[in-house]
Amino acid sequence: MTYSSTVSMNRKRFARRNQNTTNFSSTSNVLGPVSNTISLIILACLLGLLYLTQVTKTNAFSYKINTLQKQQTELKSQNSDLEVASARLQSLDRVKNSEVAKNLVSVAPVSTIQN
Amino acid sequence: MNPSEKEINPKLRIQTWFAFLVFIMSIFVVRLFYVQIIKHDYYQKAALSDQLKQYELPAERGTIVAHSSGVLVPLVLNESLFTVYADPKFIVDVAQTSTKVSDILGGKPEDLRKLMEKDTRYSILAKKVSKEQKQKLEGLKLKGIGFRETVQRTYPQGQLASQLLGFVNDEGIGKYGIEQALNETLTGKPGKLKAITDAQGVPLASNQDNILVSPKNGSQLALTIDLGMQQQLEDILKQGLEAASSKSGGAVIIDPYSGAIKAMANYPTYNPSDFSKVTDLSVFSNAIVSSPMEIGSTMKPLTLAAALDQGVVNKDTTYFDPSVWVIGDSKVVNVEEDGGAATRSMKDILQLSLNTGATWLVMQMGGGEINEKARIAWHNYLVDHYQYGKETGIEQGYEAAGSVPSPTDGYGLNIKYANTGFGQGITATPLQLGLAISSVINGGVYYRPYLIEKYTEPNGLNKDTKPVVVRNNVVKKEVSDTIREYMIETYTKNFRAYNSQSSNVPRPEFNIGGKTGTAQEANPDGGYYTNIFNGTYVGFVGGDRPQYVISIRVNDPKIPGYAGAKAAAPIFLKLTNMLIDSYGVTPKMH
Repeated sequence: MTYSSTVSMNRKRFARRNQNTTNFSSTSNVLGPVSNTISLIILACLLGLLYLTQVTKTNAFSYKINTLQKQQTELKSQNSDLEVASARLQSLDRVKNSEVAKNLVSVAPVSTIQN
Repeated sequence: MNPSEKEINPKLRIQTWFAFLVFIMSIFVVRLFYVQIIKHDYYQKAALSDQLKQYELPAERGTIVAHSSGVLVPLVLNESLFTVYADPKFIVDVAQTSTKVSDILGGKPEDLRKLMEKDTRYSILAKKVSKEQKQKLEGLKLKGIGFRETVQRTYPQGQLASQLLGFVNDEGIGKYGIEQALNETLTGKPGKLKAITDAQGVPLASNQDNILVSPKNGSQLALTIDLGMQQQLEDILKQGLEAASSKSGGAVIIDPYSGAIKAMANYPTYNPSDFSKVTDLSVFSNAIVSSPMEIGSTMKPLTLAAALDQGVVNKDTTYFDPSVWVIGDSKVVNVEEDGGAATRSMKDILQLSLNTGATWLVMQMGGGEINEKARIAWHNYLVDHYQYGKETGIEQGYEAAGSVPSPTDGYGLNIKYANTGFGQGITATPLQLGLAISSVINGGVYYRPYLIEKYTEPNGLNKDTKPVVVRNNVVKKEVSDTIREYMIETYTKNFRAYNSQSSNVPRPEFNIGGKTGTAQEANPDGGYYTNIFNGTYVGFVGGDRPQYVISIRVNDPKIPGYAGAKAAAPIFLKLTNMLIDSYGVTPKMH
């Protein structure tokens, strides 16, 4: 039942016999309170759903970020390991004790040529 | 159609259902009101305790690099290592597990077995385990064995420059050397992550209240040290000390025109990676900056410079040296063989290393005798000109200031001050000695010493260290020239004596100057040991102007002869040759 038909019925109740009356009937479709409530609830649900979808989607990125961060950490760690290994291989002690260094001949100091 | 159904008013039915729905909804509303409004704080706390996680994001400690053949190479880096622990509750077969672990980590299985049988849930089996070892252990899938990652300092150059660098203890705090002096700069500032996480602890991006403060890593330090020079200094020092039968000593090489330290070493030394295994804690100290000593006759060029600078003597002054001065109840005598009574020049005071000559110089500061005027004038030079008795400010932990006696307070001040003229009764570190001599031979500028050439912040910003002048006009330029000339002559005259045990060739094309020092070791109970002497040598090498100043200390050498000449000077000769041959000392042109 709509709000307009309710008004019409009420008007008919006060009309007497042979009395000309004008039948008011609204041509526009206006939603009643229940329909409005339901519409609002549906709208709220849709908005909620939209929110949840977006939150879930955003949170899904968290795992991607987490995975990428782990990769970054791992790569940094590998880089650091390589840096340490490289530095050790080039250390003076290692160079001094290398086969090449052992085969070098030490030279006596020579005087500098002066003008 | 059932007549009973006919009687039910549809409107009533709707109203009933509506009322029922409202009732149900009201229950929800009431419950939600209770949970969300009345018990809000309680449930919020409960939820956050599960979901909200706070992490401290550790800052990476700054690395340390140094020069090597013109490029900067790492001296101290960070490395991820692992602590291996056991949870005895979960170990199924202790014997088998301990054997397998010892196969990879080394050590005795029995020792590991004892650790695995401890009545605890966390028993450390090994520290500083490498990534490769950890991966091997992981591959065995042993139950009850766990790993904890720790970032440790690693030293690719081994024990090179260890006392200069210091180490980082298990709490992550720098101890000794640069690590202690610049602990804050190296440590950086940890960051913070406060976030809502899922059950696995992964931070959820959707929470607007997540807080992330990135850590500020420590600065990288570039040293003034040249690694090649440092290595050679350590080798030469060790050989020199062994040749002199000395158990310990140190040396430093300084750029006299900036205060930059080019190399600094002590012996014995230690491996900073294994600092926890060191039993003699004295090896941690960088004695060059932390252990003051009586510097002996290496003080004499400074005494002469002060007298010349005050104008109480000049270059051509001569005097009659009686070879003994009686001051109060004490006598000042010479220890050198050629220090008899005679007329002496200023040059002789250095060349013959005359204690009586140095005492006479202090006497001239007081108008011919050691009195309050002389003491105050000499004290002024020691403290305000040569900066003795003050920390130099070098980036090293536990720097010592040394001591200079008060010129006005105390007993026996005159003999005390007579002694300071030749380096006794006053203490200074080899670094202070080297810097004071640098200021006297470089024209009269005292530079603050520094080891850090450049600070590089994590964002790449560089901050270069500029030489800092502590004092100008330490001595006048002409005094500086005179002292330089006298030190060259002293070195040249004594070269054969210094070189008697080795075969260094003379290098006449360079200007090399220096002065020996031999001082009795002070007895902590008063007086001096009669059988313990320390040798020192301070000198320079360069062309028309000095390029490097070298200060050497040899503790208690056990060879015949004076410690300065027989133990410290030979090390100086080798170091000057090393610098000439490998580090581009420019020959003199005039």
